[in-house]
Amino acid sequence: MLVGIDVGGTTTDAVLVEGNSVVKAAYVPTDHDDLLKCLLGALDELVKDVDTRKIERVVLSTTLITNMIAEGKTDPVALVLIPGPGTNPKDYNLGEACILDGAIDYRGREIDRLKESQIKEAASKISAQGLARIAVVGKFCQRNHAHEQKVGEIMRAALPGAKIELGHRVSGHLNFPRRAATTLLTVATKDKYREFAQAMADALRQRKISAPVYILKADGGTLPLDSSVQMPVETIFSGPAASIMGVLALTPAGQTSVIVDIGGTTTDLALILSGKPLLSSKGAKVESLLTHVRAFAVKSVAIGGDSAVDVSDERMTVGPQRKGPAFCMGGPCATPTDAMRVLGLTSVGDAARAEKAMQEVANKLNCSPKEAAQKIVDAVVDKIVAEVGEMFRAWEQEPAYRIWEIMKKERLEAQNVVGVGGGAPPLVPLVASRLGASAIVPDFARVANAIGAAVARPTITLNLHIDTERGEYIVAEDGLTGKVGDRKMTPEQAEKLARKLLDERAERLGIGEYSGEAEVTYSEVFNMIRGWSTVGRLLDIRMEIPAGLLASWRGC
Amino acid sequence: MSSKGKSGKTGLIFFPAFDWAISPTHPEREERLLYTRDQIFEEGLMDLPQIDEYKPRLAEMLDIARVHFCVPDVESQITEAHLIAAGSTLTLADALESGEIRNGFALVRPPGHHSMRVVHGNRGFCNINNMAILVEYMRSKYGHKRIAVIDTDVHHGDGTQEIFWHDPDVLCISFHQDGHTLYPGTGFVNEMGGPQALARTLNIPLPPGTTDEGIHYVLDRLILPVLDEFKPDLILNSAGQDNHYTDPLANMRFSANGYARLNEKLAPDICVLEGGYAVETALPYVNTGIIQAMAGLDYSHLKEPDFVPGRFVQSEQMSREIEATVAQVQRLWDDRDELVKDALEGLGDFYRRKKRIFYDTDMINESQEETVRLCPNCSGYMTISTQAQRGYGILNSAFCVSIPRKACASCREDAKEEYEEHIDDCRIGYVCMQDKDRDTFKFHNNMTHTQKSY
Repeated sequence: MLVGIDVGGTTTDAVLVEGNSVVKAAYVPTDHDDLLKCLLGALDELVKDVDTRKIERVVLSTTLITNMIAEGKTDPVALVLIPGPGTNPKDYNLGEACILDGAIDYRGREIDRLKESQIKEAASKISAQGLARIAVVGKFCQRNHAHEQKVGEIMRAALPGAKIELGHRVSGHLNFPRRAATTLLTVATKDKYREFAQAMADALRQRKISAPVYILKADGGTLPLDSSVQMPVETIFSGPAASIMGVLALTPAGQTSVIVDIGGTTTDLALILSGKPLLSSKGAKVESLLTHVRAFAVKSVAIGGDSAVDVSDERMTVGPQRKGPAFCMGGPCATPTDAMRVLGLTSVGDAARAEKAMQEVANKLNCSPKEAAQKIVDAVVDKIVAEVGEMFRAWEQEPAYRIWEIMKKERLEAQNVVGVGGGAPPLVPLVASRLGASAIVPDFARVANAIGAAVARPTITLNLHIDTERGEYIVAEDGLTGKVGDRKMTPEQAEKLARKLLDERAERLGIGEYSGEAEVTYSEVFNMIRGWSTVGRLLDIRMEIPAGLLASWRGC
Repeated sequence: MSSKGKSGKTGLIFFPAFDWAISPTHPEREERLLYTRDQIFEEGLMDLPQIDEYKPRLAEMLDIARVHFCVPDVESQITEAHLIAAGSTLTLADALESGEIRNGFALVRPPGHHSMRVVHGNRGFCNINNMAILVEYMRSKYGHKRIAVIDTDVHHGDGTQEIFWHDPDVLCISFHQDGHTLYPGTGFVNEMGGPQALARTLNIPLPPGTTDEGIHYVLDRLILPVLDEFKPDLILNSAGQDNHYTDPLANMRFSANGYARLNEKLAPDICVLEGGYAVETALPYVNTGIIQAMAGLDYSHLKEPDFVPGRFVQSEQMSREIEATVAQVQRLWDDRDELVKDALEGLGDFYRRKKRIFYDTDMINESQEETVRLCPNCSGYMTISTQAQRGYGILNSAFCVSIPRKACASCREDAKEEYEEHIDDCRIGYVCMQDKDRDTFKFHNNMTHTQKSY
C-alpha cells in the first residue's frame, strides 16, 4: 500500500493506494503554522484501522519551503560571488553580495587567480555581520570547482561552524545568477528543513511506520526524505506538481491534455504533452528570485469561481479581484459561482441569493438574469480558452538553437481538458468544447494531489560535461571530476559514462531500483577545430529519470 | 530615428545553427557560437528585465527575391539555416515596428554581407545578404525611406555596397582593414556609389593593426556626424566581430570594450552578426559587450582574460594615416550633391558598368553588365546580364530586370519590354523580373520554358 499526503491551502488530504485504486481517503484542515501536525493528523486519520506494516511507501507534498520563503522566515545568508569578467553583479537582482577576484572561463580554465587575503577579509566581514551561513558561487564554477572549493576551505577555517554551500553542488546548468539564487535559498532553508525532516522521521518511528518516506519535488518526482535535506528548495511548488502527477495518474496514458485547476481566486493551467508533463524551460521563479529549480510550467490566471463581477457603463468585467465568497455563499458581490448556480451548473449556495446577484447584474446590462449569468460564464470560459491558447503559443515560440528544432515544432492541440479544483466540474466541459477536446473530470479529482504524491516515481537529473581536449569529465552537482583519455570520445561512449554515473548517484540517494528508467534527454557534441585540425570534443549529456508514475500503478 | 532615447527592451535572437557548417573544419562551422552561448547563458543575460529573447522565423522566398536574383532560383541557393538567419532579422524588425522592443540584435549565422544582388553561389561564407533583406523588408512593409547601414566587420561589406550602389536613400558606410591586405580586396575610398548616389557609399579602409583609438576616431569624427546630417529613419549595424585583436583571419586590434562602446555611441536600431572567427578568445566577450551596450547595461566589467587597458598603442604614423583617410571621405560626403550633379551631366540616358565577381568559397567566376536608366521621373529601372562559370563546370547565364519602387510609367513599360524580349532567347539560361513597386518576382527558365513566381 502506498500513502500520499498533500498539504493544500485549506485542507490536508491523504490517500491510501493499493495497486491502481484508491482504497481510502482522509482530510484534516491545514494549519499553516504547524505543517507537521497536519501531515501527521491526516496520516493518523488515514491509517486508523489499517495495518501499518503493509505500507510500502509514504510520500509527502508540503508547502514548508514555499511558506518559509513567502513569509520571510528563512535564515540570513552571506552571499559570496566570484563573478569574473562580464555583467556587473549589481545588474542581478541578488541583493547584497561580497565580490571576490578570480575567474574561470567557459572551458573551465582559470583566467584570474583568487586572492587569499581578500577571502580572509571577506570572512571577517561576514563574521562581524554575525552571519553563520554562506553561499559561495562563481561564474563557470560548474566547469571547474577549484575556486569555490578553495574559498569554502578558507571560509570554513576562518568561521568555524559556519554552514557553507558551494554553487556547483546546487546546479551544473549554465546561468550564474540563477545558480547564485538557488544556492542562496538552499542555505537559507536547509537547517529548518532538516529539523522538519528529523521530526517527521521521529513521528513515523513512534507510529511504527517503517516504510521509506519520500518528499515530492517541483518536477513531479519523489526523493527519500533523508536525501532531500541536501536540496530543500527542490521541494518548492510541490502542490501544483502533485496535482499534475495526479492528473497524469487519472487520465489515459500518452495523451495531450490541458489541466485546468479552477479555484476561488485563480485558475492554474498546466500541460501534459503526449503523456509527459511540460517542465518550464528555465527554472522556477521563487518570489522575486529566478532559480535553477526544475518545475512544471504552470500558468496562473487571475480568474476563479469567486472573482468579482463588475459592470460599469454597460461593460461587464469578471475579476481579477476577489472581494469575498460568492454572493450565494454569503459574499459581498456577484461572482461566476452565482452565475453557475442560476444556470443550474452547480448546486452550491443559496439559489435565491444567486438569483438576486444575477438580477442586479441584469439590471445594469438590460437583460434577463439568465442572460446575465450566461454572459458571465462565457466571459470566464473565454478568458481560460484565451490563456490556454497563449500557453500553447508560448510553447511554440520557445527559442531554439538548431535547425531541426525550428523545423520540427508542430502546432499543439489538446485531446483532453482535465478539470481539478472546486470550480472545475461545471466549467471544464465548456472549455473543452471550445478547444475541440474531450472533458475529463476524474472521479478522484478531489484528492488528485494526494494520489499524485502517492504514485509519483523518483526523478533524477545528471548533467555530464566532457572536454576531451582538457581530458576531463565533470558532474558539477556531485562535485565529481574524472579523466577522459580518448580525444574522439563518441556521444554513445559519453552516454554510457552518464548512465554509470547516474546509477551511482541513484544508489547514493537510495533510489537505485529506479535507475533502469533513466533516459538521455539531451545530448550534444562539438568538434573543436584549431587551425584546420580537430583537437578535441566537447560533449554535454543530460540523463534523467523524468517525472512518471510508479510501475505498480501503471501496470494495472 | 535611431534607438537613442527610446524606451523598452532589447530584442535578442540567438540562432547559433549548431547543426550547420560550410564544411567540418571551415571557420563557419557548428562550433562558432558555442562559447558565445556558454558566456551569454552563464551571464543570465536572457533573464534580465532589459532583454527579451525571440524565436526566429523562416524568411520567405519573396523576402529574398526582393533583394536577390538567385540563379537558377532562390531555392537552389539557400538552406534552411539561411532562411532562419534572414528570418531572424525580420522577426526583430516586426518587434521593433510594433514597439515591443527599442532595439534588437540578430546574433545569428550564417552571415550575409558579401552576398551581392546576383547570387550564383557562396562568396566569403555568404549566400544571401541578411542585412539587405532586412533593409528591403523594412521599406516594403513599413515604408521606411532613409536607412543607414554601418558595416563594422573587418572585411569590406562589398555585397551590401553592391546591392545599394545606385540607391541614394540607403547610406552604406563600411570601415574595414585595407583591401590591399585582406579579403575581398575592395572598399577603397574611391568606391562611392553610382552616379545618382555618389558618396552615399562611404568606405574607410584602415591600416592593419588599427586599435580602439583609431576605430573610435572614425566613429566620432566621421560616421556619427555623417549620420547626423543624413538623418536616417533607421540605423543598422552589420556587426562583424573580426576587428578583434585575436581574430585568426584579420589583423586589427579592436577590443570587446571597444565594440561595446561603438554600439553604445552608434545606437543602432538593429544589429546583425556578420563575421568573427576567434570563437573562444573574442566572440564570447564581444557578443556579451554588444548585448550589454544595446540593453543599456554596464559593460565596464567586461574584458577579455588577456586584455589590459593600454595594451595596444597606435603609432603616430598610423593615427596620421587614419586622420587623412577620414578627411578624404569627409570631403566626398560634403561634396555629395556636387558630385552627383557633375556625374549626371556627363552621362546620357543610361549608365553602364561591367563587373567581374569571384566567389571564393564556391570557385565561381562571374561577369556582369549592369545598366541603369538615368530617369528624370523616377530612380530608373535596371538590367543585369550575368554569366557565371563554376570551375570547369557549367556555365549559368541570366538576364535580370529590376523595376524600382515608385517607377514611372515609361520605365515600367521599358523594363517589361526588356524582360519579354529575353524570354525564350536560347543564348540565356534564365530571365528574372523583380518588381519592387508591386512586390512581385518572376523567374523564367529559357531551357524548360517554365516560370516560377514569388
